Parts: sequence; C-alpha cells; structure tokens
Amino acid sequence: MRHPKLTRTAQGVAAMFLLIASVQKFIGDPGSIEIFSSLEMEPTGRYLIAVIELVAALLLLSPLAALGSLLVVGVMCGAIIAHVTQLGLVVNDDGGGLVGMLVVVLLCAGYVLISRRKELPLVGDTL
Amino acid sequence: MKSTFIVDLERASRTANIGIVLLCLASGVAGYLVSFYFHFLTVTFFLLVLLNAFWRHGQTSHALLANFGFLAQIRYLVESIGPEFRQYLFASDTEERPFNRVERAEVYRKAKGVDSSAAFGSLLDFDRREIKLRHSFYPVDKDQIEPFDVAVGESRNLETTYHIRRPIMISAMSYGALGENAVRALARGARLAGAVMNTGEGGTPKYHLMEGCDLIFQIGTAKFGVRTPEGHLDEDKLAAIAGQDEVKMIEIKLSQGAKPGKGGLLPKEKITPEIAELRGVPMDEDVISPAHHLECVDAESTVAFIGRVQRVGGLPTGIKFCLGRPDEFRALVQEMKRQDIVPDFITVDGAEGGTGAAPKSFMDDVGMPLFEALPLVHKALQESGLRDRLVLFASGKLINPGKQMTALSLGADAVYSARGFLLALGCIQALQCNRNTCPVGITTHQKKLQKGLDIEDKAQRVANYIEALHHDHVELLSAMGRSSSRWLSEENVYSPTRAPASPLSQEPS
Repeated sequence: MRHPKLTRTAQGVAAMFLLIASVQKFIGDPGSIEIFSSLEMEPTGRYLIAVIELVAALLLLSPLAALGSLLVVGVMCGAIIAHVTQLGLVVNDDGGGLVGMLVVVLLCAGYVLISRRKELPLVGDTL
Repeated sequence: MKSTFIVDLERASRTANIGIVLLCLASGVAGYLVSFYFHFLTVTFFLLVLLNAFWRHGQTSHALLANFGFLAQIRYLVESIGPEFRQYLFASDTEERPFNRVERAEVYRKAKGVDSSAAFGSLLDFDRREIKLRHSFYPVDKDQIEPFDVAVGESRNLETTYHIRRPIMISAMSYGALGENAVRALARGARLAGAVMNTGEGGTPKYHLMEGCDLIFQIGTAKFGVRTPEGHLDEDKLAAIAGQDEVKMIEIKLSQGAKPGKGGLLPKEKITPEIAELRGVPMDEDVISPAHHLECVDAESTVAFIGRVQRVGGLPTGIKFCLGRPDEFRALVQEMKRQDIVPDFITVDGAEGGTGAAPKSFMDDVGMPLFEALPLVHKALQESGLRDRLVLFASGKLINPGKQMTALSLGADAVYSARGFLLALGCIQALQCNRNTCPVGITTHQKKLQKGLDIEDKAQRVANYIEALHHDHVELLSAMGRSSSRWLSEENVYSPTRAPASPLSQEPS
C-alpha cells in the first residue's frame, strides 16, 4: 500500500456515499422506487442492492476493506450497466448528479481495490 | 495405446478463458432482454474476465497463471489449503514433523492425566534405524528406585548448591517468544510439580518470577536484562537478578540447537512496549541477538567469562551450546583445566532443538544431533577428568520418556524439554510461532488469542506432564535394572547399524 492516507480517504468517501444510497433504498425514497420500477426489480431488487451496499460500506471500514472494494466495484458496474442500457445518464432531471456520484464511488473503490489487492482472500498472493 | 486419462490443460484453459467472455456477453444480453437480475452474473463474469486478463497478460511472476489463466488458480487454491488437508486427512500417525500424531498424543494424554497406554502393538516402523533402550533380565523393584536428586554446584562447595528433584526441566523460552499467559502457566505448573524452569533470554524475567517456581536465569548473547548499553555484562544487574530468591542457577547460552552459530531472533510482530522495555530494545525492528558474547572470542576468554559470571552471580553457573566441532570443545575443556574454572553444568542442545523463529537453513542444516553430540561431550569430559565436577543436561526434541531415558543413558544427568511443554499447554503444531498468530494463544501477545489459554487449567496439565514423565522414568529404570538414572550408561542403549563414525557404532561387549 503506497499511499495509506489516500487509500483510507477513498475508503471513507466510498463508504459514506454507499451508506447514504443504502439508507435511501431502505426507507423507500421515491427516486429509488422509480429507478427500480423501471428496471422491474421493485421492491426485491431494491432491498437486495441496499443490503449489498450496506455490507460493502461496513467492509470498507473494516480490515476486510479489499473485499469490500471488490463488492463496491461490482455493484457500481451493475449500476453503470443500468444507466447505459435502460435508465439514461440523466435521471429525474438531476443533471447527471446520480451518475456523477456513481463514478466517484467507482473511482474511489477502484483505487482501494488496486492499492489493497494483495489483501484479497485466496487470490491476493498472485496479484 | 495408453489408456491413461490425461487432462489437456492447455485446451481446457483455452476453452475456459473464451468461455467466461462468452458467458459475460450472454448474461449481458439476458439482462437486457429478460430480466435485469441477469446482470448480477454479467458483473461477476466481467470482473473474472478482468482478473483473468491481468493474470495472463499483466504479470510475469506466476508462469502457470500467465500461460493458462484462471483454471491454473485452482492449483494455488488447493496448494494453499494443502497443509491442513494433509494434517487432518492424509498424514499417517507417524509421519508428521517435527512431532507426529503419536508423539503429540502421548504428551496430550499425559498432560490431561489420562491413561497413555496403547494396544495391539507399536505404531513405529521397526525396520528403520531406531534407538531402543535395553531392558534387563533382572528388573529392579520399583520401591528400590532411588529418589531423583542431582546436585549442581556441589563440587565447588557452594552454599547455593541446587538440588534438582525432577529429571525433566522446562527449557529456555523467553517472555517475548511466549505470551504472558503461557509463561505463567508453565511457571505455575513447574512450581506445582517441583520442577525447575529456564527463563530464556528475555531480559528481566517478570512473568517467570510471578509464580514462585525455581528458575534458571539464562544469559543470551545479547544479555537482555544484564547488559550495558554496549552489550557487555553489567555486573550490578546480574547480581540483582541472581539475588532473587527464585533464581537458583545461571545459564550462559553460547549457542542453541535450533540456530547454532546465530543469535536469538524475536520478530518485530511480537514486540510489545513491555517487551521492548524489559529487554531495552526498539519496537519497530526484529531483535537479532549477536552470534556470540562480546566477551567470548576464544577458549581462554570464554572460560574467563564463565568464571566472572560464577563470581558475580554466586550461583551454580553453567553453559549451553549445540556442538559443532568436537576439537573446539576439547580445547575448551583443556582451557577449563588450565584456568581451573569449571562450569557447574553444561547443557548440550541437539541440532533438532526447536525455536520460535530461526532462518530455515540454520534450523535444518547446522549443528550436531543430540544423540551424536552428547556421548562425545560426555567422553571428552571423562577423559579430561572433569566429568565429576559438573552436571550434564541434554535437550533437543526430548518430549517422551523413551527419548529422555536414552539421553540419560548417553551421559546426561537431567533433561530439558521446551516443545513438550508447549504441547502440554495445548500446542497444535500450527507452526506459526514466528508470526504472533498462534491459534492457541501460546506464542502470541494478542490478548484475544491468549484468552483461550487458562493459566490455572494449563498449569495443572504442565504439572501432570512432569509427574507422568517421572512415573514412566521410574518404570523404565526398573525394567532396565538400574536403581537410579546415575547408573545408566551407553550399555543401556541399543542402536542398530549406525554410521561407523558414531560413538554408538560399537556394540557393548
């Protein structure tokens, strides 16, 4: 890990955004419901993703941050697929704010994943 | 035609490498057309494709992964869990190292006070070259066996002459190598059984002293606890430690079987603020003791140093070494005669000795094994006439009564064991002593791992182990027709064909 401070900051930023996103989904924020309705995943998918985001955020703040960042990268890839194939880049007239946040989280998690890749269980030794 | 089934790894891996890309695309299409849930698969395969691409094109240190991709990873996975698999499932009862399951089970049963008799026959391979004890046609009745009593320091008429009442002593393990619970359990167990314990070279033996057992204070090559800032002997500190009631003897460690010719090693993972303070060392680097005492550069200075420690400490004082060159030892003995300074005891450590941390090549390839070295030392001392003036201790993998009796027959007066006592404490031979991660809380300073080591319970097991060993010693002595271990000699040991150079190669007439 070459930049411990930067890595820890990235973990914190990603975890914060994820916690917010997770809570929004749990409490049934109208924007979230609309998104998951248009993906035909309402409400099961919404809760599923909320749980995954919550777990990932907690992992990011724990010694298993490497695993958490992998999970986050996965979720964010899924979100990008959703926006590119079905939702469009501007959702609910937010001027692309949601997608922007998504990219920030992806970059943070990606950085954490790369700098902590050796700590990944099972495959870490080979990376 | 050969009918052997051969997996064509190259073809299989090519299929697999293309396969995951296709699966990723397929689930992407399904996610778009059927249900978004398919994208869980898309993402998973996508990450696998990325990882696989890195393995095949982005790294050069793993040839198998570079050539075959993720299928080869299965090999690494299986290899990584191999040791556990082999230990639990496939290793036979007599093939593990350093101690096999039969040897460990005997210690566990003794420590728990359970009957350790076996049935139907020995599990050992009698075709191999194994040393056996010779029994007598005329066993001695057990009530005629003399109580064990070895006096150390008697030849110098010391007031502090110490009488060892148990043939088994707890060998040198420092606080630092062991955690505090382990040290206290061993010390309490030693007190319960009336045995003596060596402190190891860990500086002021704070935790060893807590339980009130008899101690041998060890001076390592770095002289932790008794050093000047430059690493020489601090006589005032030594006198203070030797003045403690519990400290009965002093052992100067010249070398150690697990790493002969090299100083002790405490990995930085295991250094806590307290250890740094007790030893007077920094916390952020491995503590590597020098390979020799600064005072000891040849036979003359070494003997003079022994005399100095004897004078300052006022206690029975001995040396410990692993034998390398017999000629050097004979020269040392001549020098002892010349200066008329004889250590009160000599500990011969076999190269098979264990340790918390040592370079592998030293553990594996340096030093003489105990059963070769001990008779050489014994005979050299006999020939020089010094054998009656000192006591010989033996150490090195002596965890069961048979091996201990062999050592007593080959010249030792009492034996040391370290790992035997670790097994009695519940060691499962996880081989992590150097990482501060000991799963049973013995060689670690992590509080949460030490939690599992209950001092009271384990102290009793240590005492049980000593009692059970002593009991077996009496049984064996009786069978060998000797009323005391002092009457044992090489004649009591049977050794099948051994190398001609071995002192054991001649059959007793």
